Amino acid sequence: MTLQRHSVVPLARLLAVVGGLIFLASCGGSSSSTPITTTPPPPTTNNSVDLSVNLGPTAPTIDYYNGLFASVEVCEPGSTTNCTTVPNVLVDTGSYGLRLLSGAVSGLSLPAVTDSGGNAVQECIGFISLAYIWGPVVQADIHLSGESASSASVHIISESPQYPVPSSCIPTGPVGTPEDLNSVSTLGANGILGVGGFPQDCGSLCADISTAPPQYYSCPSGNCNITAVPTAATKGQVWNPVALFSQDNNGVLISLPKIAAGGAATAAGSLIFGIGTQTNNALGSAQVYGVTDQAYFTTTYNGTQYSDSFIDSGTNTYSFLDSGTLGGIECADAPGFYCPPPGSPLSVTVTNTGTNGTTGSVTITIENADSLFNTGFAAFNDLGGDSGNSPSTDYFDFGVPFFYGRNVFVGIAGQTVTGVSNVPYGFWAY
Amino acid sequence: MKTIARVLLILTLGAAPAWAVLGEYESSVSLDTQFMRGEDRVISAEGYKLHQITSPTGAVVTEYVSPEGKVFGVSWRAPVIPNLEKLLGSYITPVQQAAQAQTRRRGGPFIVRASDLVFVSGGHMRGFHGSAYVPSLLPKNVSAEVVR
Repeated sequence: MTLQRHSVVPLARLLAVVGGLIFLASCGGSSSSTPITTTPPPPTTNNSVDLSVNLGPTAPTIDYYNGLFASVEVCEPGSTTNCTTVPNVLVDTGSYGLRLLSGAVSGLSLPAVTDSGGNAVQECIGFISLAYIWGPVVQADIHLSGESASSASVHIISESPQYPVPSSCIPTGPVGTPEDLNSVSTLGANGILGVGGFPQDCGSLCADISTAPPQYYSCPSGNCNITAVPTAATKGQVWNPVALFSQDNNGVLISLPKIAAGGAATAAGSLIFGIGTQTNNALGSAQVYGVTDQAYFTTTYNGTQYSDSFIDSGTNTYSFLDSGTLGGIECADAPGFYCPPPGSPLSVTVTNTGTNGTTGSVTITIENADSLFNTGFAAFNDLGGDSGNSPSTDYFDFGVPFFYGRNVFVGIAGQTVTGVSNVPYGFWAY
Repeated sequence: MKTIARVLLILTLGAAPAWAVLGEYESSVSLDTQFMRGEDRVISAEGYKLHQITSPTGAVVTEYVSPEGKVFGVSWRAPVIPNLEKLLGSYITPVQQAAQAQTRRRGGPFIVRASDLVFVSGGHMRGFHGSAYVPSLLPKNVSAEVVR
């Protein structure tokens, strides 16, 4: 329940006062001062949130490797006192919008978002692991450093759902299979902060009942059916909160320090809002890779193009190719992870190509996953696993290991970034 | 990676009331509301044929059918993962078991290699894709690589 966001405003005011005092002092001794007509620059908004890579809120029972965690403050709409700060929220560039476990905001009264029939909107999100989360969509003010998204739609992950999960939204079918992530022990975090390259978590499909996929529901008289939810910034779909900020709203920069091969116990970095909007978020030497309408670019390895590739802070490994293609390096005791011989890391160099024609090479280095797990560390730049079963299903998912020692930018589709063009669906830059 | 090699002829284009289930005959029916108003393209390839069903919800499901009429593979590209129980039929069981046994990998691809099923699920929010095939049902001289 700590409230930290207000520290920014007093600091800005303090600086303004101090500046004014300096101004007065410098002018005080002059008897022939000319009128000063220039206005002072606007106070700089604090646009940076601390990121921590640690073993997560469920350690030591369940360790979370390469989890990027941040704290998020949420308030009842319009309130500056009915607020709570939720720690250990996973920062995910592979999704869009804020999702919080119900227990993390149980002290707040957050109004429901309703559909055109006046019924409370519920949302179901399936993951590629075939797990899912389920619960109501509510309105809250989201505060991240000095940035705010007011009356934003937020997905509450119900730990005790009011309505049973509709079977149509569970990827594996029957209700009751224990693949829900509706608790901190299964989710591994208190929530997910989706800051990927789309403004909303669905878009126009969900706004029309004739095209709405099984994602948004409402439950009049207890029966949950798919419902249409507009893309509007308030009382609509769940939005990437960054796109709702009044400034620094065209994307994010994730900056993690370089770490040694073999890992680090923990790592600390920054989630910085905006691209090219302040002195701390310039693209600099980063190359811009445009993405497709499904946020993919192409990665080429050994002459084969893998067109469903992407960068994802919500994936805790480099996920690429398959063990067979790489000569049989799957870990015997950790399915899906790569275990090259300890001390003989696998090195793979690939070329990424954006939809805007940008190309550049990346070298991926993978160490034996069993050896890495035995360190007890949380942060690894060389943890890898498979993405498919053979070249026809493989792709490259540049997960958290890719982020160490890099500035990685996510440009939000439809937003403007100075000097960047021809990327209608947003971009990655690094 | 997306070109379907040796596709010979597009045969029909029409409304698809349903899709068939993995491992069952092409005529098997499994209603799924998401696909009830879908469009079915039947494409003939060398040694097999495929149904490509596009739903109004932006999902594309492809079913790969052997000359004997059995569905030996399925794949999908969709903004939301389709109901896999209806797509995989009885082959959902090893997938469910593997889904419950996942440890330590987070947010990444999900792959199952069971005794007679290969299943992959990948992508990210607003862009999911995946496939499954039954090795013992692969037609003669057809590579599993066609299922994508």
